[in-house]
Amino acid sequence: MAAIHADIDALTEFRAALTRFRYAQREVADRGGDTIEATRASLEAKASRWRARLEQGRAELAACHERAAAAADAPVDCSGYARAVSEAGERLEHIRCWQQRIDQQVIEFHGAASRFKDLLETDLPRAEEQLAAIIASLHAARRVQPPGS
Amino acid sequence: MSPLPARPDRDGDQQLRLLDDAWEKAVPHWQDDVARQFGTHQWTPLRDESRLYLEALRAMMDLLDAAERDTEQ
Repeated sequence: MAAIHADIDALTEFRAALTRFRYAQREVADRGGDTIEATRASLEAKASRWRARLEQGRAELAACHERAAAAADAPVDCSGYARAVSEAGERLEHIRCWQQRIDQQVIEFHGAASRFKDLLETDLPRAEEQLAAIIASLHAARRVQPPGS
Repeated sequence: MSPLPARPDRDGDQQLRLLDDAWEKAVPHWQDDVARQFGTHQWTPLRDESRLYLEALRAMMDLLDAAERDTEQ
């Protein structure tokens, strides 16, 4: 028979630590997912604002060009509107680049997150059950030990 | 002003450190074949997979922080 060198209290404490870890990491994983969604929503809101500014800027630029065409002998400066359209376009493109980077990273992250979720839902409870069985067998062995041994 | 919430990856790292400490405390009191098997087949994969996930989460959170900062209006 294999020798048993195990302290019941130490194993019980470690099992409790595993359980705490499982609950705490579930919350960590949930918060990670929430942060991803919140940032995506924030970027989409920013993109939406810049899209609206771009549309408005284009309309104002077009109106300026019409005024310039109508007043051929009096020069009309539309460069401010053109700059605003250019800036809005650049800001929108910048946000789109970040959105694409995040989408790509989320795909890579999903693999690790999925494996970790399996670990929390399946492997960790199994380890806790195994420890519980070991602790129970130690209790049983202690009960049948002859006095004074 | 309310404090910024802690990043989940940092909380996850802290939880893994606590579990690692608990394992290190248990090991001197658990020195048999079952312990060695548990260490090889349960504890080591659990710790390694947790580390991999937390590294991926850290990279993800870093990217999200950078995106928010870089797109501030």
